Amino acid sequence: MATNKKYLSWFIYFAGLAILIFALPKLLSLGLRTPSPMAAITSGSMWPVLKQGDLIFIQGIGAKDLKIGDVVVYRNQINNTFTIHRIAKLEKEFITTKGDANFQEDPPVRYEDIVGRALTLSNKPLRLPYLGSITMLASGLK
Amino acid sequence: MNDIKNQTIEKPEEPEIATPEKKEKYRMRLSDKIIAAVLAVFFICIFYIVLDANKYRATVRIAPGEGIVGINPSTASLDFGDLSRGASAVRRVALKNGTNLSMYVAILKIGSISDLVDISKNNFKLKPRSEEKIEFTVFVPASAEIDKTYSGRVYLFKIPIF
Repeated sequence: MATNKKYLSWFIYFAGLAILIFALPKLLSLGLRTPSPMAAITSGSMWPVLKQGDLIFIQGIGAKDLKIGDVVVYRNQINNTFTIHRIAKLEKEFITTKGDANFQEDPPVRYEDIVGRALTLSNKPLRLPYLGSITMLASGLK
Repeated sequence: MNDIKNQTIEKPEEPEIATPEKKEKYRMRLSDKIIAAVLAVFFICIFYIVLDANKYRATVRIAPGEGIVGINPSTASLDFGDLSRGASAVRRVALKNGTNLSMYVAILKIGSISDLVDISKNNFKLKPRSEEKIEFTVFVPASAEIDKTYSGRVYLFKIPIF
């Protein structure tokens, strides 16, 4: 009887863990209103606010809610990658971004290319150090 | 007189004294001995590698203005001197393997300077009786704080490959 109870508790534990692992991205996606709720930092262009290997959370945002100084994620049409930089200028049709560590501004970005804004905590982007490297490694192993 | 010979003298009962149980002596099994030996060798190896590592102190001070590159003749440490935003400096370290064994070289950088230092070569195999020059490049980004000194340490580990 005691053994059955023990097995049951282990089963519940692993089932809960599996649900958490598989459902977390979906839950985050729903909660943050974006299809891509997490991103790994692959360069030092936003140093020291964001460091290489960090994992950040992205929240979906409407075009009218964007403001100068926000750290946004956008789809780079040139090489079809995501870029995480800070808004330097807001214009009617385009947004100009710049990496904090960069000396030059990026080419203008269309509003529809904005994926979301970095989730902040006390006005600083919320980041999980080194976790981004793990996700990058995991995606490379697939 | 009583005949003592035929008399049985009852001995007074001795109180029972509780004796502490003898502790069973723990004897290591062969498997335990093997594990202990392997762990001992492993820790000695780690200790040797850490002790044998080349350690360098690395610093850079961010100077105001543009195009400022400080000169530092010291080779004992990776002192990049004063650099302004957008400037970069290179320091070289020669690594010599004087043994008959190949060495696996791994470089670890820690501290606030670690994000600014770029290493030309890391995690590589150094052949026996050979020399390799490693370049450490510091590039000061636009977001570096003026007048701040970024410092840290660089560890150069050499692991023998048998």
